[in-house]
Amino acid sequence: MALANGEIDKLVSLERGEIDRRIYSDPAIFELEMERIFARAWLFLCHESQIPEPGDFFQSVMGRDNILVVRQKDRSIKAMLNTCAHRGNAVCRAEEGNARSFLCTYHGWSYGIDGRLNGVPGHGTFYNGQLDKSRHGLAQVAQVANYKGFIFGTHDASAPPLEEYLGATGRLGLDLIAMRGDMEVVPGIQKFVIECNWKIAVDNLFDWYHPQITHASAFESNVLPRVGERRDGGKIDMSDVNMQSGANLELAAGGIIGSKFETVVVLGEYGHAIGGPSTSSSGYFELFPEWRDTPQAKAALGPVGINVAGHPNLFPTTWVTTGQQISLRIPREPGRTEIWWFTLVDRNMPRESRDILISFANRIFGAAGLLEQDDGENWAQATAQTRGVASRRMKHLLGMGLGRGRIKKEGGLSRIEGLTSEYAQLWTYHSWAQWMKGLPWDELKNATTPGDCM
Amino acid sequence: MPNDNEARSSDSRIAAMLRDREVERFYYDEAALLDAHRYEEWLALFADDAHYFMPIRRTRTQRELDKEFTRPGEMAFFDDTREQLAARVAKLKTGRAWAEDPPSRTRHLITNVRVIRDDGRTLEVECNFHLYRTRLHSEETSWIGSRRDVLRRAGESFQIADRKIFLEQTVLLSRNLSNFF
Repeated sequence: MALANGEIDKLVSLERGEIDRRIYSDPAIFELEMERIFARAWLFLCHESQIPEPGDFFQSVMGRDNILVVRQKDRSIKAMLNTCAHRGNAVCRAEEGNARSFLCTYHGWSYGIDGRLNGVPGHGTFYNGQLDKSRHGLAQVAQVANYKGFIFGTHDASAPPLEEYLGATGRLGLDLIAMRGDMEVVPGIQKFVIECNWKIAVDNLFDWYHPQITHASAFESNVLPRVGERRDGGKIDMSDVNMQSGANLELAAGGIIGSKFETVVVLGEYGHAIGGPSTSSSGYFELFPEWRDTPQAKAALGPVGINVAGHPNLFPTTWVTTGQQISLRIPREPGRTEIWWFTLVDRNMPRESRDILISFANRIFGAAGLLEQDDGENWAQATAQTRGVASRRMKHLLGMGLGRGRIKKEGGLSRIEGLTSEYAQLWTYHSWAQWMKGLPWDELKNATTPGDCM
Repeated sequence: MPNDNEARSSDSRIAAMLRDREVERFYYDEAALLDAHRYEEWLALFADDAHYFMPIRRTRTQRELDKEFTRPGEMAFFDDTREQLAARVAKLKTGRAWAEDPPSRTRHLITNVRVIRDDGRTLEVECNFHLYRTRLHSEETSWIGSRRDVLRRAGESFQIADRKIFLEQTVLLSRNLSNFF
């Protein structure tokens, strides 16, 4: 199963912008991802507003480990493996709720909300009082940290602290939601399953080449609420782009992404990235962009960050949307990914604005989302076509803009400005390959530090 | 010979049976429109002020079961006004709605229809549904759940004034919801 590092280097070519299709369906690669990425990286668990009261819990996922995130009596937050120390049964089977204790329904071992083993049936008689309860609590996640309300965990005790892991790019990603106000998660996490590899679902979030095609029906039928200001993006050359009927594929007038659509791509250490429009050229794509004018937002985002209106991904699987949602792409199997949507609003927002935001979130993304319902079809088919022996000899191409991306460094951020490109996707895959080598943290950081051009 | 009371009771029972039959017939006709992809005619069954809502369901313990479903104002899979439903129908008609081209093959089975309340003008009706879908080569989806409708009498037929759809799933076991319930 172990892949030599030389083999891993052949899977992703940063120079040619080529990806080996095996990475989307090879079970051995998936297993290695579980060990080298999902057992090491800081992973988003939930937002603190989801568990406000002592005993409130939310069940999350790290790799294939089920995690109980629990508010403690002292208001701190703990994250524990949801598996009994005796025979491994889950000690909680609800997705969320409030608990005073967690009971294993197999043999009755009972744990406090802090994970401490309190009660063992027959402790005095069957175990002669000799079982050391202090040694058999629920396993705690190695590190748990809170960045402005967003709770993360890592299984690696030697991982750098969360803020350092996020770096300027990851922090900017989260600040793009956190700085909008006193944020809370709206009840109801949308969860659904797509038969695709998780990396295809992740790299798509940077992909501003697909919306006008994949989502043509949504743009064309004007079903999308109008967001922000729309400027003339310029007409994309669609000559010889024909439908199965032979008719030219016409794009809706005023489609959001045109030939002049300016983007800013931010490349970060450990594989974090941001891709998408710049505010100055493309508008905000936000329903209520006024928050960007506040002094605290300007200070937190900085001059580069304030110009970012695209999509951050916190490596590996946490997408921060412009519609103030967090989307997780949770790998279940090589060809099966669970999508979770968390929607955040400012607690102090007028009811009417809150309703508009919620309605927008409900209608755009998620399983019935006017945009997302068409995405799954692409991702599932793109994954399926990595299984054929002949098909998988072909590479996936991420070469758009390659060789022309000049990386500017400012305020701790590395950015490329220009037209629609595939830099952020390719950066994600390059970083993925470095993670897959199992490098020590300092070497991993070096290997995922952007150079001068791409 | 039945006395007056018995006759009235018998008449009202027959009236209720006829009404139930009309409601069932309305639902069967509605299902036929959806399965034939006649979405604009389907949309015409909804009142202008209709609300179409499919909440998110969560696995909760028995003592917290009152919090199983999200409510209006919270997150949902569907939370549409009639105008927003119309936009979904318009999207399907563009010829570029890839998730439905090639179209899904669907069959709506409607059962267990029960009129819960009838004040003469509006009815509250519950029913069960099985929406079976196949797509492309071998994709198969089965959605089973219940619907709770408010129907308004409109001439000889009904209008859907409110529809709530409760799926027997928490994590939605399909890639999308590009069909109607």
